[in-house]
Amino acid sequence: MTVDHERWVDYAGAYVLGAMPPDEREQFEIHLATCTICSEEVDELRPAAEALPMASPPMVPPRGLKDRIMVEVEREAQLLAQAGPSADRPEPAPPRRRRSWSLGGWRLAPVAAALLIAGVLAGTALDGTDTRRIDADVDAPGASAQLEVSGEKATLVAENLPAPPEGRVYEVWVQPNGPDDTPPEPTNVLFLPRGDGSAEAAIPGSVSDMQQVLVTDEPPAGSDAPTGEVILKATTS
Amino acid sequence: MGQDLGSLADEDVMQLVRRGDARAFEVIYERHSPAAFSLAYRMMGTRSGAEDVTQEAFLSMWRSGARFDRARGSVRTWVLGIVHHRAIDALRRATVHDRRRAGDEGIEERFEARERTDVEAARREEAGTVRHALDSLPSDQCQVIELAYFGGFTHTEIADMLDAPVGTVKGRMRLGLKKMRAQLGEGQVAI
Repeated sequence: MTVDHERWVDYAGAYVLGAMPPDEREQFEIHLATCTICSEEVDELRPAAEALPMASPPMVPPRGLKDRIMVEVEREAQLLAQAGPSADRPEPAPPRRRRSWSLGGWRLAPVAAALLIAGVLAGTALDGTDTRRIDADVDAPGASAQLEVSGEKATLVAENLPAPPEGRVYEVWVQPNGPDDTPPEPTNVLFLPRGDGSAEAAIPGSVSDMQQVLVTDEPPAGSDAPTGEVILKATTS
Repeated sequence: MGQDLGSLADEDVMQLVRRGDARAFEVIYERHSPAAFSLAYRMMGTRSGAEDVTQEAFLSMWRSGARFDRARGSVRTWVLGIVHHRAIDALRRATVHDRRRAGDEGIEERFEARERTDVEAARREEAGTVRHALDSLPSDQCQVIELAYFGGFTHTEIADMLDAPVGTVKGRMRLGLKKMRAQLGEGQVAI
């Protein structure tokens, strides 16, 4: 028996019950890797802990719960299929980190069900008569993008846009009018560029109500708050 | 795909989930959501809390299906393990004061399973065995196991609540689980 083992005597029960704080659990797992006594005890106790859920009174999950989950699952499955065989299974969203351009107070709004893949969205055709084009700042070598504004409607048109990191999609954000630090809001517009790097995305809402349009890379279901880098930014006012 | 998903074993359905098959995931949901929701409800104590945890857990499973390893246990164990972790995270985000458990309130919110298929009947029998094993423990051991597993409390929090030394609490957990394991017997309860 080692000194290290003596420190962890009696922890196996707390471990399999999930009753250790994360940092302590990590240390115990390091110990487990080298201590056969503790690892055997964990193996012995684990089946009892894993049986505990069955002591819960049986319940029927509400029907709407399945509907909500499957809407997300089907949307992501569709996106994966569109992304083709090179796309890996969606990765779990990484821990959300604050953007360097401090957006404390980003409004939490659910990403709605609409899914817009580049090239399949409707309403991108512009008649050219009243169209003004606003150059966007694009943080990718060789890429360019413009916001094509016709009346109150805007469409983002990009060229040579790189694909987002594997397992991610691009999400459009809109910063409403107000002070410069007004937090941008998520939209339901998710897209992937075509193979040649071109992409279009219809921007929801009225142009006169917004000061900026931004694009970040996000998990396939989109995010309520940004987790990726800003690749594109267009100022409308 | 022409495949009768319902006839496939969980592990084979998971192979399809890994490839992004939404219908296969629906089968996993149908099979395991009652147990998942029951556990979530037992831990969270409210219907809305249970729904949030169950939704988070299943979406997490969908997105990380590749992490399921059949060598480490059944799909059911994997599902319930994720639900448990999600519920603990949710409980620990709340203050201790806010934590509520189904055993303390919310009985009127229960929606007991109505359908009694053969599979459910077998599950109920197993559930009865587990409850009996838990209830047979000395009350101080049963208490710390329930507070830890269903309440999401850490061993130090439990020690504070019970005004008992941390070592005593850990010892009760370990002894109680050992007794449960012996009572359940190897292989009698398939989770």
